[in-house]
Parts: sequence; C-alpha cells; structure tokens
Amino acid sequence: MNRRSLVSVGILVLVAAVVLSATIAAQAPASAAKAAPAAKAAPAGKAYTPPKTPDGQPDLQGFWTNSTYVPLERPQGVTKEFYTPDEAEEAIKKAAAREAEQTEPGTTADVHYDFSQFGLDRSQSTIAKSLRTSLVVDPPDGKIPPVNAQGQKRAADRAAARKAAGGQYDSVQNMPIGSRCIIMGGAGPPMMNAGYNANYQIVQSPGYVMILTEMIHDVRVIPLDNRTQPPQGVRQWTGVSRGRWEGNTLVVETTNFNGKNAFRGASENMKVTERFTRVADDMIDYKFTVEDPATWDRTWTAEAPLAKTGGPIFEFACHETNYGIANILAGARAEEKQKAEQAKKGSN
Amino acid sequence: MRAKLVVVVACAGLLLMVGQARAHHAFAAEFDVNKPLTLKGSLIKWEMVNPHSWFHVAVKEPDGKVTEWLIEGGSPNQLIRMGVTKNTVPIGTELTIEGYRAKDGGLKAVGRNFVLPDGSRLFLGGSAPGGTGGDKK
Repeated sequence: MNRRSLVSVGILVLVAAVVLSATIAAQAPASAAKAAPAAKAAPAGKAYTPPKTPDGQPDLQGFWTNSTYVPLERPQGVTKEFYTPDEAEEAIKKAAAREAEQTEPGTTADVHYDFSQFGLDRSQSTIAKSLRTSLVVDPPDGKIPPVNAQGQKRAADRAAARKAAGGQYDSVQNMPIGSRCIIMGGAGPPMMNAGYNANYQIVQSPGYVMILTEMIHDVRVIPLDNRTQPPQGVRQWTGVSRGRWEGNTLVVETTNFNGKNAFRGASENMKVTERFTRVADDMIDYKFTVEDPATWDRTWTAEAPLAKTGGPIFEFACHETNYGIANILAGARAEEKQKAEQAKKGSN
Repeated sequence: MRAKLVVVVACAGLLLMVGQARAHHAFAAEFDVNKPLTLKGSLIKWEMVNPHSWFHVAVKEPDGKVTEWLIEGGSPNQLIRMGVTKNTVPIGTELTIEGYRAKDGGLKAVGRNFVLPDGSRLFLGGSAPGGTGGDKK
C-alpha cells in the first residue's frame, strides 16, 4: 500500500471514528464532565420567568455551550425517546471512557496530539446534559429524513466537481473550508456542537441579538425589527438571519445561504428556523427546524440545549494557513517526489 | 536524523485517544506515521494560537549544535478556561516530546505526548494550575 493509500485509509479511519464516536456518544452526556445542568425534556418556559434586559427583552445573554454526548440521530437499536437518568449516566460514562481509549502507536489513527492533554475531550468541559436519545425530535423516530432524488443528484454533482478540481492536497483551494479557517461546521445556523470549544456568547442590544461562535470566530448579528430578507442574490456563509420575539421565545429565521458550507448536503435555499427559550438561569432550550424541499421531502426538527458555561471566549484567530496548510501541501509534494523517484528507479 | 531524535518503534506506554475524530484537520496528511520520534529539549516559545498551538523547542544534538523544532499541540482555548497561562509552562521548561515528524522532513512534528521531567504529561494530572478538568465559571 503506498503512502497516498495510507492517507486515504487514514481518512476513512477518521471518518469511521467520527461515526463510531457519534454513535457511542449517542448514549449519553458526561459524568466525569462538569456538573452541567441536567436538562429534562420538559416543556420550555413553563415555570421559569427569564430576567429581562434593560430594553425589556427576555435575557439570553452570557456564555453558553451545546457540547453534548447525545448524537444528532438516534442510534441503531434504541427505540425510545428518553433514557432513564441511570441509563443516561451510564451512557455518559461509556462515552467518556471511549473518548479516553488508546489508539495503536504506529497506526495512522495515532498521528495526532493528545486531545486530553489540551482539555479537548468533552469530559473536561461543561456539557449540556439531556435524557434524550437523539437531538432529532421530529420525525419521531429520531432520524433525519432520507435525502430525496434532487438532494442525491446535488451530492453527486458536488462530488464530481471536487474530483474534477483535483486531489484534496493539490492546492489550498481544494482543502476543506474548516481546515482553511473559513468557517467551522457547527457555526450554523443551525448551531451544532463542534466537538470541542463548542462555546457561544450571546449579547443583546435594543433591536438586535448577537451570537458569537467560538470556533473560527463567526458572528451573527440578528435584527429584530421585522425587516425583509435581502434579494436572493445576497448570500452569506451563515445565511441572513431575521429575528422576532414570540413571548419569551426568540425565533430566528435564516435563508440566503451561499451553499458553500452545505449543512448535511442541503441546498443554498435551505431555511432554518431556530427557537431560543431560556428555561432556567443555566439553560436555554434551543430547537431548530430545517426546511429544504430540494433535499428532504419533509421538514425536520432537533433540540440541542445550551448550558451556561464560563467566559470570556478567547479569540480564535484561526491561522492554520501559517503552518498546517503549508505543512500538508509540502508533505503531499514530498510524497509525489518520492513516488516519482521510485517510479524512475523502477523503470531503470 | 541525528542526535536526540530517537526513533520509537512501538511505544506501548503511550496514552492514546480516539479524540482525534474531532480533529480540525487530517493530521495524517501533515505528519508521517512512518516517522515516529522522541525529542528532548527546552521550551523556547509557546504560540498559544488556534486552531493548534505550536511549541518551539531547542534540541541539543551530540555535537553540541542546537536545532529548533516546531511541535504541534492543541487549541489553547479550553486550557485558558481551565486557568492555564503562558506562565504555566515557563520558557526553559524541559520537555520530552513523543510524536510523529512532518511528511516534508522538516524540523516539525506533532506532539503525541508532552512529558515533563517528573514523568507527568503536560496539563494532565493537575500539573497545571487550575487544570483539574473544570471550567471556571
């Protein structure tokens, strides 16, 4: 097996590990983890009256995290919507232990720094606990609806375009946008747990709500004055968001995505509706509904609570291009050179 | 490789994680699984930057020549939340670094483990003030 194949295998292993990790994570939130608020899936805002900002908005301000061991989709073999508290704790323990498992020295999967030494495993940070077995609450089976024919064709077209552009390490432009520090998955909307540094800051001022995402430092400034969306030609990485209050719930609708950071293969015409309701001093109930007929034949909704966490948020100032990208490209060129030399030797 | 660069064939003692699944980029594209190494040196500089921090380490070779290596470590944000500062790892700190060398053969590596003179791993086991695994609220 040549080096490139090894890299490919490594990437596959990483992908598999992500899936596995997510599946295991499915089983619960962390116990070793900070004593985060134990969010029950109680109806939002029943017995709690949130504080108000000076201008009278329900106050969502502060530092929040959506770090969780609950998977987006319900794991195979799990049929119920909620674990019992004991089951949830057990699942958290298993997931945290799994995160601490060792990889085999000398294997591709082992080539990385130790996340635990930098506090990056979830058990070392606040997590938003939940008894849910999946973040997806609708459809009731906890699974994202199947991608329709139009969505499958788009996925195939995107894959073909990537292939036509050449190898992933042929140029900076071919590398994933997260690696290039453009935007990180999870910046949203919808706001998805980034795995580590899954932190947000919410600031409110009269007429606006601002949401800062720690990973790669993205900001959404959401106006609350019922203004219309810009023309369809105006498109942004995180779309264009418009908000309003419905009682104590902040409702944010986002459209006008640029399609370059497709959320689970969605089209640029995806519409995301988010609902933020503060249900305790240390918890925001966060739900989002995804609507994209060009990808899914029905809408789907997930619930991913935000737990209060410590601040301030340290600036991310992602600067991968100074080292990582250069190292990766240089590594790829070195491999190509080595291969060419071997081929030359072989032909002599 | 000369000097204090010791090739580690298989170090069963390494404490390894599956956490790489959440890596920011594909480390196997940057570093070579076939070039494991152990470096011993003193800290010159720690770039507490994102998405990965970089440790500059002076490694003395047998002929007395000192070479500067760049070692990739993790995002510093959570460490900062846990109370770690640059002063936590003073310049001159002696470090043993187990990791993998960059594919292009330069003096760069990913730090699989950062080990202090007493054998403990950096930022683990309470080696860092506040580094007990908890967020400061």
